[in-house]
Amino acid sequence: MTIDVAHQGGAMPAPRLRRKPNVFQRIVRHWNDYTYIAPALLVMLLVIAFPIYYTIELSFFKTPANLSMDKKIFVGLDNYWAILTSRSFWDVTYNTLIWTVFSTFFAFVLGLGAALALNREFLGRGILRALLLIPYVISAVAASYVWKWLYHSDFGVIGALSVQFGFTDRPINFLDNIYTALPAIIVVNIWKEFSFAMIMLLAGLQTVPDQLLRAAQVDGANAWQRFWHITMPHLKGVSMVTILLLVVTNLNSFIIPWIMTGGGPAGATDIWITQIYQMAFGRIRFGMASAYSVILFIVMMLLGYFYVKALTRGDEAKVG
Amino acid sequence: MAEVVLNQVVKTYGNVYAVNHVSLTVADGEFVALVGPSGCGKTTTLNLIAGLIEMSGGDIHIGDRLVNDLDPKDRDIAMVFQNYALYPNKTVFKNLAFPLQMRKLSKSDIEAKVLSAAKVLDITHLLERKPRELSGGQQQRVALGRALVRDPRVFLMDEPLSNLDAKLRVQMRTELKRFHQDLQATVVYVTHDQLEAVTMADKMAVMNGGFLQQYDSPKNVFDNPVNMFVASFVGSPAMSLVPLEVVTHGTDVALRSPEGWQLPLSAANARKALTSTTAKVVLGARHSTVKLHTTQTPGTVPGVIYTVEPTGDITFVQVFLGASVVIVSLDPSVIVEPDQKVWIEFDQDKIHLFDGATEMALAAA
Amino acid sequence: MSTQTATPPPRFGPAIPRKRSKKRIGGWRWAGRGILAFLLLFTALPMAWMIITSLKSQLAALQYPPQWWPEEVTFQNYIQLLSPNNEVGQEFLQYFWNSFYVSILSTILGVAVAVPAAYAFSRFRFPGRQFLFFSVLLRNMFPAVVFLMPLFLLMKWLGLVNTHGSLILTYLTFGLPLSIWLLKGFYDNIPVQLEQAARIDGATRFQAFFYIVMPLSSPGIIATGIYAFIMAWNEYVYALTFMNSKDKLTLPVGLQRFFAEYATNWPGLMAASFIMSVPVVVLFLVLQKYFVRALTEGAVKS
Repeated sequence: MTIDVAHQGGAMPAPRLRRKPNVFQRIVRHWNDYTYIAPALLVMLLVIAFPIYYTIELSFFKTPANLSMDKKIFVGLDNYWAILTSRSFWDVTYNTLIWTVFSTFFAFVLGLGAALALNREFLGRGILRALLLIPYVISAVAASYVWKWLYHSDFGVIGALSVQFGFTDRPINFLDNIYTALPAIIVVNIWKEFSFAMIMLLAGLQTVPDQLLRAAQVDGANAWQRFWHITMPHLKGVSMVTILLLVVTNLNSFIIPWIMTGGGPAGATDIWITQIYQMAFGRIRFGMASAYSVILFIVMMLLGYFYVKALTRGDEAKVG
Repeated sequence: MAEVVLNQVVKTYGNVYAVNHVSLTVADGEFVALVGPSGCGKTTTLNLIAGLIEMSGGDIHIGDRLVNDLDPKDRDIAMVFQNYALYPNKTVFKNLAFPLQMRKLSKSDIEAKVLSAAKVLDITHLLERKPRELSGGQQQRVALGRALVRDPRVFLMDEPLSNLDAKLRVQMRTELKRFHQDLQATVVYVTHDQLEAVTMADKMAVMNGGFLQQYDSPKNVFDNPVNMFVASFVGSPAMSLVPLEVVTHGTDVALRSPEGWQLPLSAANARKALTSTTAKVVLGARHSTVKLHTTQTPGTVPGVIYTVEPTGDITFVQVFLGASVVIVSLDPSVIVEPDQKVWIEFDQDKIHLFDGATEMALAAA
Repeated sequence: MSTQTATPPPRFGPAIPRKRSKKRIGGWRWAGRGILAFLLLFTALPMAWMIITSLKSQLAALQYPPQWWPEEVTFQNYIQLLSPNNEVGQEFLQYFWNSFYVSILSTILGVAVAVPAAYAFSRFRFPGRQFLFFSVLLRNMFPAVVFLMPLFLLMKWLGLVNTHGSLILTYLTFGLPLSIWLLKGFYDNIPVQLEQAARIDGATRFQAFFYIVMPLSSPGIIATGIYAFIMAWNEYVYALTFMNSKDKLTLPVGLQRFFAEYATNWPGLMAASFIMSVPVVVLFLVLQKYFVRALTEGAVKS
């Protein structure tokens, strides 16, 4: 009888382990793995890493208008100083805040309302959902022209309607009035992106377990209590990500203000991005615009940190 | 076909030993079952043989080749997975053809081999279906067919029956055994179900905590478990284990319970008991070797019935001996009731004695 | 609920209607309907007005008060844009074609780059994997305009300014982070045993990926493809900056030039906007389920 026994309590044979590889050896061993990500990495390096690096570099230079960068002049932090002390920077920052906060808030609230209303089987639900998503899908350029036509000072349908219903005596010139221009384009932005919030939250609602809702119903919770105690906690994660993405998109938006008002009238709709574009390609001051971009970078990185955190909630165990 | 030799095989994850210096030889044409509770390292061992994960130490030979650094595709093995791992986007025919295509066989050869394998497994009528259109048993056959189709040197099977319902499992067990007998194939079979191992395997390797506990024929493992783990793992219902204490009265040796009763030992068992490293000895008995008395007779010890479980042809009775439970099998005609006071008689020739400290089986010095 | 029926229920005959409790649910339902009706009007009216305007003659469009419905429906604007025989049509069709092939090419290249990367992130445990993964995702955080200057200079050095190559190279990175994220999710869900089986069946690691895993991830590939295509189709800022010759423009930028040249032609502009929206809307409607998945994947975990 051949019995080969090893037991936890028994003597263990001398270990003959291969040595644990160090980081360099591990990189070499996984060499093949890297070839899979090489193309993606290469493109990202070229189109993302390089630009980031170069933007930071340019932000310390005064750049010539003909863009021959070998003639750029080092100016240290002058660009930053010039931006942060200019009055226009703070006006633009104010506009950017208004634009971002109101767009995000209303897009989220409307999206949440739509998601809750759509989270029930009824006839035409799919069609309705698709219809509401169309503004999100179409080009912002087309949307901007459509709304520009709606807001048109003489022949715009909104002006005509407000006269028709007796709100005003004559059509309002929405886009040429410093008080109405910013709210007017915020409405367009909300029109464009509320359905993004809707679709995200709708997907989030699908993760609310039916059993839990039924259990709560049995336990005597009314509709509002069920929403507040069961649905909302489940939506917390999705809401975080959605709001973050909306904030980022809004901070980065360019097309709607650029096409509808070009930052005007009198800078009333100028936000960071239109300002940077104007500085770079209107006045050809790349150094200054780069410094502006770096400031924006820093804000974005802070938001990005929260974005990744929100995105990887519960994924840590799997990835780590 | 070929033999498989594992020599001091080790797999670590960080500081954890998933497989701890395992050595075993699977002879050519042998059916070996790796058994143990989940997490015991049996599946890891199988994956090491397949080459799906990298070894941390040791050597594996398949046939006369050292395969430590060979890719799975170069080891000339076939594997059946627990979830079958049928390619969901391919038809049954294409599933079976895939291993042959990868070996660049001609179209006509592929067709011939697939058809003959399908015929053996009686799945010819399923060849044009997709895996999701098959029942569990049919999927199981296809998975087997994919392993069979190219005459590998070794078959590796990772719990191939555990996703089937109870009835089908018994049926497939028979078929697998027949399949092994017909092909004289070398099979390494992983299962957590000791019954599968006992019924099918030529040899079983019982694993626990990454260690190989015992490697022997099912009969020997059943009759002579090397330690308490193997004793309680193999056999259903499990072997009853009663912790006791050795006492001597002159030349007589007995086992004493915490409740105070004593069980005198036969001469052979007395010699075994005295080799224990401490006074603590665990008595092991299989249900079929224990007798139950409703009245006190010499050589019996007192207990109380806890439950009575009729299964039809046998009734299992659980009896409390102090704090430990002893399982006894009775003829269904015997009527006993819970909470009834009874007396247990052990068969001195068939009891097992284990060292209470090391948990190893005690042998006569 | 307190009303009790005095007569005993008949033993046979029609089923007794179940008494429905009038709970406050009615109120919630009506609120939901109200929200949906409002959003439907908010969404649809501007689009409806776009279409109505596009069916008017220029003269009919510039009236106050407006014609709520065109007195004379005309397709002249569409005919003009889509006929290759006049100057406007030629120009518009050229833009359309440019947009189309830039979007298609950048989508295909983007997916081709994303698929192996996503697979590697899902399956392999190489050093630096997490760092790389999140740096790829961070692409989402940066505004296009910020990358514009250095990329403009880069394209100048590479000699790619005013070529579609510059746009394709840039656009393929738009979809990349999302594609990698989404496809990684797909690969995570494909049992690793399938590849193990393939490798035991004689496939190399790459063959196992190519023959077995990739076909299974086609829904993910479609989803990311649509997303990338729509992003590229609608992109404006880079196209505005990188392209300067008229025949190279894509639709969003071309639309603006069209508008500048034919400044007062609102019906024409609405027709052009409509035509420009058709491909993406059709694509979206047909493959809606994939698109929605592309948007929501990752953010929503059950």
